[in-house]
Amino acid sequence: MASANTFLGGAAGRLLAPSIVFRFFAAALLFHLLGWLVLLLAAPSLPDFAGGLGPALAALHLFTLGVLLMTAIGASLQLLPVATRQSVTAARWPYELIWGLYTLGVLVATSGMGAELPAPLGWGALALAAALLLYLFLLARNLRGARGMRLVVLHGWGAGLSLLLLLGSGLSLAGAYSGFFLLERIAAVGVHITFAGYGFMGLLVMGFSYILVPMFALSDNPAPAWSHLSLGLALAALLLALAVWLGWLPAWLLGGALAALGLAWLMHVALMERSLRSGMRRGLGSSFVLVRIGWGCLIASLALALLSEFGWPIRRAPVLFGLLLVGGLLTLLLGMLSRIVPFLAAMHAGAGMRRPPTPSHMTAQRALDVHLYSHCAAFLALLGGVCLDSVWLLRGGAAVGALGAAAYLVFFGKAWRRMTQTLSKKDALERSKPA
Amino acid sequence: MGTVAAPHGAGEHWSEADGLHLEVRGMAPPGPFVAIIRLIESIGGQPVPVIVHHDREPVPLYAELAERGWLAERIDGADGEFRLRLSRAP
Repeated sequence: MASANTFLGGAAGRLLAPSIVFRFFAAALLFHLLGWLVLLLAAPSLPDFAGGLGPALAALHLFTLGVLLMTAIGASLQLLPVATRQSVTAARWPYELIWGLYTLGVLVATSGMGAELPAPLGWGALALAAALLLYLFLLARNLRGARGMRLVVLHGWGAGLSLLLLLGSGLSLAGAYSGFFLLERIAAVGVHITFAGYGFMGLLVMGFSYILVPMFALSDNPAPAWSHLSLGLALAALLLALAVWLGWLPAWLLGGALAALGLAWLMHVALMERSLRSGMRRGLGSSFVLVRIGWGCLIASLALALLSEFGWPIRRAPVLFGLLLVGGLLTLLLGMLSRIVPFLAAMHAGAGMRRPPTPSHMTAQRALDVHLYSHCAAFLALLGGVCLDSVWLLRGGAAVGALGAAAYLVFFGKAWRRMTQTLSKKDALERSKPA
Repeated sequence: MGTVAAPHGAGEHWSEADGLHLEVRGMAPPGPFVAIIRLIESIGGQPVPVIVHHDREPVPLYAELAERGWLAERIDGADGEFRLRLSRAP
């Protein structure tokens, strides 16, 4: 017979220490606020932004590297071992090294971008590369040791390979300012955007959604055949886009890649919507309002890119595309995170307790509501500001976005405080027991 | 010592003297989580304990149970099994 002498305390093997995961989330949310503040400065250059060093590039990378990738790294290091039934690496140093190098890299690289200084950009890019390679090693280790969850694991491998391409093209773009590059600029930009937005982030979001959405909605897993078809289409589209960007296939095939990727996302969203509609829990609150907006923006970004590819004259199409892609991923991720953070805080605080705290006890709902309205208003103002060429609308949007980011920090801070208070009480109780 | 094969199919539940039993071994996440919550929801207000036959510790389950006013306690199970007794909080 298996022993029952432990009381709900044996899950530690699959859970990282809370300080590890939460430091990734905390850094991401601070970069989130910083991103909106830098966007306030970059507002005049945003409508005509076409790459190149300056505050707009810095703001963009505070959102992408600072928020999206930082959160994805922290979440995947925790969620994969839980989902695939394996122990996490016992030593803390690999996680701390990744976080330290990565945070430093984001700060130095975005400072170099904002101040138009190639040297710090290069050094920051090297720190980011070192952190991401170490993360890739841990990701590959988790994927290789996975038991079950084939669909999530396949998405994970796709995301990992995309991260390598994203990293290679990013280093080439950063190095070009100092005279070192691997790819021509247009090819490097194409590979970078494709594999950052739809490759690494897109595949990771799709894969984890197959666990998280049914879990939050309390519904059955989506039909595996359709999920695999969606993944197959996404991977085929990414490979096709790569071949086009590298010049191995004619440029007109990019339209085919965009259409296949759009179809893959439509299928994925349809599966997720079905899961939400058939679930026992209907009221998923502001979190899934954001998730649905995020899905809509991602599909809209692909539709816009496809129309532009077919020659439709859309004013400021590249900037609008960037806003829809980055804004869509950001909105989706913040929605998911507003569910994950209280859940994770309750899990950690309640380990070994007969009556664990509830996720709702860890949630500052008013702060989340302020964030929801501010975030949506900011996003609409940015879209309007770009279309109407209004710097004041863009500045207003960035200011309201910063307010929303501050509210999200309040939500996060409350979850962290309540978790640490519960853990401290538990420690004090343990210490007061006779030896 | 080998793992004892589950006599019931994954997702199946049945009644015994000690409560309502639920077999979730072999289900992919979040299947066990959803099956457990679905069963305790279907019980309604009845004071019936639920015995869950799992193949791993269901780490995310406890927070959801707490939200619904249920408690979990690990009890003795077969080799390779993680057995839980769920009951309504008094």
